[in-house]
Amino acid sequence: MFLLPKGNPLFENLAATKLRLPEVTSKLNASGFTGYASFVFNTATIILVFESGKLVSTFLEEKNGNRLTGLEAMSALTELMVASDSGSLNVFRLSRDLTMCIHALLQGEILYRAQELKLIDIKSLLEKIRTEQLNGCLRIYTEERSAMIFYKEGAPLGFFHDGSQDIETSSSESQKIASLPGAKIDLFSTQGVEELMSMDLLEVVNIQKLWDSSMSAHQSELTRLDQKRAEREQKEANLKLAILEEQVKTIVVEYVGKVGRGIVDKELNDLGGNEAFRKDDQVARLLVAIERSARLLISTTAIKQMLEKLSAAIATAKSEI
Amino acid sequence: MEQLIEMYLQLQPIDIIKVILWGLAAAISFSFSIGNARVWTSISLGFFLIFFSQAYHMNPWAISYYKISAFHNIIGTVAVMVITHGFLEYYVFCRTFEISGKKVIVYLSTLLLLAASGAFLFINPTPSPNTIRNIKMIENAIWVFLSLMNLELIRKIYLAIKDSTISKAFIAFGVVFLCIFLWKGAELYLQIFQWDRDWQDIIAVMTDEVSDIDKYPLRVAFSETVRKYAGVASSVSVGGTFIYIYRLLR
Repeated sequence: MFLLPKGNPLFENLAATKLRLPEVTSKLNASGFTGYASFVFNTATIILVFESGKLVSTFLEEKNGNRLTGLEAMSALTELMVASDSGSLNVFRLSRDLTMCIHALLQGEILYRAQELKLIDIKSLLEKIRTEQLNGCLRIYTEERSAMIFYKEGAPLGFFHDGSQDIETSSSESQKIASLPGAKIDLFSTQGVEELMSMDLLEVVNIQKLWDSSMSAHQSELTRLDQKRAEREQKEANLKLAILEEQVKTIVVEYVGKVGRGIVDKELNDLGGNEAFRKDDQVARLLVAIERSARLLISTTAIKQMLEKLSAAIATAKSEI
Repeated sequence: MEQLIEMYLQLQPIDIIKVILWGLAAAISFSFSIGNARVWTSISLGFFLIFFSQAYHMNPWAISYYKISAFHNIIGTVAVMVITHGFLEYYVFCRTFEISGKKVIVYLSTLLLLAASGAFLFINPTPSPNTIRNIKMIENAIWVFLSLMNLELIRKIYLAIKDSTISKAFIAFGVVFLCIFLWKGAELYLQIFQWDRDWQDIIAVMTDEVSDIDKYPLRVAFSETVRKYAGVASSVSVGGTFIYIYRLLR
């Protein structure tokens, strides 16, 4: 994600996942905010550009380079806000002109894309910008570095490059990058501020509905995940109970003989199955019942040893269930 | 008093040992029944009843009290029924692992059975020696039948629990009931063909009937020998079995 000038920060590092998008946009709209709001998540960054409280553009760039705009970007933003574990919101106030240039950069008309500087006449290009009174942004970049020049009606508003925080008046960094081998340019243009003011995504997109829909989808997903987790936990618990049951049978068979398997089966069945292992009173009843049967088959000493072994095995298994 | 001492001195030591062994079996099985399922209660009660029945017959005047003598034969019959009930419950346990029922029911049922038998004897005329002999014959028939049934139960119990500690004890029980079968079977055989001592006594003083006992001296002698030694073997094996079980379950 390319860097943008910070201008006048209103809020920085607000926890995006604790905010409600309709409230955020509503506040920025009501306050006639001009500038941009940047939502930064682990997987993507979303920029909302406001012009006098109107949402003029939305732009999303994922870590893998995928880009979305407009309704798709808004929809993705609501999903990220309701579903992400972490994320931050930064709000920067900018001048109307610069905001227009940011809009151009994000969603403007592309006049040049990845054009190698050595193949074009840069002087002619700059002359063209001036004579055609372009509003927009000229981006000069190499693999490692980049700089932007913002224009209003063909006149440079300022310069911005990687590593700087805000608009600068000096073009030296831009010129340095332009002189590097392999330097390329992108040229984006947009309508003037007045034309931009005529569009407001907040009027087109029902943010509240989008938010509610994402919340509902997220809730359904959470419920589904909860159910899946519960099912998985139940399966795991059932497996552990089955293993414990088998362990108990093995111990009883070891002391009582093969008839011990039947004894455990019968007593567990009387107690409602191996779920009985979960409850202390049921376990106590099971051990008493096994002891009562074992008294008909083995010695008191062996019964004592068997019960100690059973108690230890059940206690160990219960701590893991 | 001197007469009493003299009569006791005439008792065979083997008879005393037999009674002691029946008593030992009863006592050990009773100790198993404490804090245990009622399976052992039935078996223990049965052996106690055999002990009482056998001990009574050591009484020099036993034969003089007809009703009491008959009652003790009935006790012997009830004894084998109660023991069989115990083995039957053990078999049910081996098949279903079900241990149910209260011990008090066993005690009360046995008591009720004995009381009913006592009442039956009380309301009827004093039994003659012949009647007592008939009761003995019924007792022996029941013993023979239930011994066979117990042998089958024991076989099935053994197969179900043959890898358990107590399983070998059931082989010993099998030996016990085989001896009892021979003992009581021999007695029953002699009674059926009227070659038993009681019948000889009866016909000697009470009837004009003649006995064909002299025609079959070998059969009678063989049966008497089997009765005598199987009786001793029964008490010895039952005593030994319970001592063995006691050691196994200690």
